[in-house]
Amino acid sequence: MLEFFRSSAVRVALAFVIVTTVATTAVFGLVYFEIREANEVRNRLILEAEAAKSVDRSVDELRTAFEARLTHDLRRIDYAALFDSSHKVMFGNIDKLPAIAVDGKAHYVAATLVPGSDNRREPAIFVARARPDGTIMVLGRSLLESFAFRRIVQAALAAGLAPMLLLALAIGAYFARRASRRLTVIQGAIARIMKGDTQLRLPVGSRHDTIDKISRDVNSMLDEIGRLLVQLKGVGDNIAHDLRSPLAVVHAQLERGLESPNDVQLRESVKQALTHIDKAMLTVTALLRLADVEYGPKSNNFRSIDLSAICTELFEFYEPLATSKSIKMTLETQSPVRIVGDGDLMREAVSNLIGNAIKFTPENGTVSISVSREDGLPLLRVRDTGIGIEPGERDKIFQRFYRTESGHRVPGSGLGLSIAAAIANLHEFDLRFGGNDPGAVFEMVGRRK
Amino acid sequence: MTKTSSNRIQTIVLVEDETELANEIKAELEAKGHLVRPASIAEAADAARVGDAAVMIMDRIVFGEDSLVTLEALRKEGVKVPVLVISALASVDEKVKGLRAGGDDYLTKPFAMEELVARVDALQRRLDDVRTTKLRVGDLEMDLIEKTVYRGDTRIELLPREFRLMEYFLRHPGRVITRAMLLEEVWQYHFALETNVVDVHISNLRKKIDTKGTPSLIVNIRGAGFMLNANA
Repeated sequence: MLEFFRSSAVRVALAFVIVTTVATTAVFGLVYFEIREANEVRNRLILEAEAAKSVDRSVDELRTAFEARLTHDLRRIDYAALFDSSHKVMFGNIDKLPAIAVDGKAHYVAATLVPGSDNRREPAIFVARARPDGTIMVLGRSLLESFAFRRIVQAALAAGLAPMLLLALAIGAYFARRASRRLTVIQGAIARIMKGDTQLRLPVGSRHDTIDKISRDVNSMLDEIGRLLVQLKGVGDNIAHDLRSPLAVVHAQLERGLESPNDVQLRESVKQALTHIDKAMLTVTALLRLADVEYGPKSNNFRSIDLSAICTELFEFYEPLATSKSIKMTLETQSPVRIVGDGDLMREAVSNLIGNAIKFTPENGTVSISVSREDGLPLLRVRDTGIGIEPGERDKIFQRFYRTESGHRVPGSGLGLSIAAAIANLHEFDLRFGGNDPGAVFEMVGRRK
Repeated sequence: MTKTSSNRIQTIVLVEDETELANEIKAELEAKGHLVRPASIAEAADAARVGDAAVMIMDRIVFGEDSLVTLEALRKEGVKVPVLVISALASVDEKVKGLRAGGDDYLTKPFAMEELVARVDALQRRLDDVRTTKLRVGDLEMDLIEKTVYRGDTRIELLPREFRLMEYFLRHPGRVITRAMLLEEVWQYHFALETNVVDVHISNLRKKIDTKGTPSLIVNIRGAGFMLNANA
């Protein structure tokens, strides 16, 4: 039951009931007061005017007028009487002078004995006015009518309000029940998802209300989490897979070392094993790096950076290496080419491209780097004079661990291009293979937004 | 400096919750003549406060607790002990966080032991760093203000990057310097790349600073990196 009152729908219903009651009562009250006031003011004016009019009439005229009034004009004047100077009634339907000032003004008298009745009393307004001959004329008007009107208003209020309250309560309760039933279903679904039923989703109705909207949002969140889980598992599988072969090699080498008859061979085996372990470690680092770029929290170091400056810097970094291999390196920049990005990440991507180009270019070849804007889009191109990439292999080079047939003898993790592509993607750039001209051409170009 | 205090100051405080890795680090550093004391974050902080640690090696996350919080607090108190942060969190953002919190160096797991030892050595050296304007080893002298290098009476012209490379070696004479350290410190490249590029830069530098007929000032350390021959 307590749970029932905690439901927000019930709270809203109760608030609704209270507000409706107050508003309705206020309207009824206002109407009542306005009408009663108008009625009473009118009655007072009539009484005062009649009293003033009658001052100059003779006693006999008054007697005739009173009789006529009291028999024919009951609607306007209920009480009329003339008292002599000693306050004794001369004629009329009041026995005693009302306890009000004799000033020709209307006064309210709460309980007046109804003429000809058995002690029945009612509220009334009276005017008492002294006449030139010393007599006092009293006119009065019953307020019973307006009190009866009040009772009608009260009855109407009660008759209207009670069913309305019940209706509001019933509607509130209904919505609360319905909402809590749906929430129970959702809670059940969440509990099952938490227990591992990760394919389950929250029920979404056709009502398009808040609960449906939230359910839909939670569902898309679950989809995204599921997608990340699958990707994460993929990364894990990759790491496991790629570590198995070096581990097997190391195992074999160490075993061979143990079986060897002399220390020289043992040392040689251990040394080889170490080389393989180093390679495995490089791979792990590269894989973690790739996972970090692809699925990690987005870098918050995005700012305006100059692609030309980055390429110039990396050109200077790599040029000695190229020179040592008798490779000519050229750089063509159209400074500056500003993009929004993470300088460290961009450096890493470009470094991978230049490093690759030098790696796959034979002696006396050329590696050309150019940065420009084409059709308004930033474009980085790295061109080498190596053997290029066979048409059949062009789709595969961006896959993880893929090494071209001819590239197998060149050391590397096989992840460089994947990392560069992931970084490009993060910057809303595309990394694409631009054909053989004559060696491989790699282009990193900003996406049109 | 008395012998006891010198021993005291040699202690390396190690905060690492992976027992096997901690043991490996300890064994490796002890083999190189260091005194290693494994500690919890709180113990390490106390040791640092009383000046009982020459260098601190701190894992980023120790038993679920972020050690950077303590490190930051220590730095606020004015504790100056050199700190090497080791972590599996590899992104540049995380590195920047580690260095901002007061780490002097940041090494990501997995790492080679040679790398760790070299960095600890470099950090220990940092304490002795005084504001010098001239660096010297043998007859090679570098003027940091004039930006000149002399070998004996011969002026050696170095490119700006070569100058910084040479300066880094001169600031760490007789210490093993890995390729990764050079990439990070001289080029500010915090990502893995084919390190043979560094070798080419070193060999170019050697050509400029070495004199014919004498052994090179910068020697190769197999499996680790390079070292500036301090006794040259």
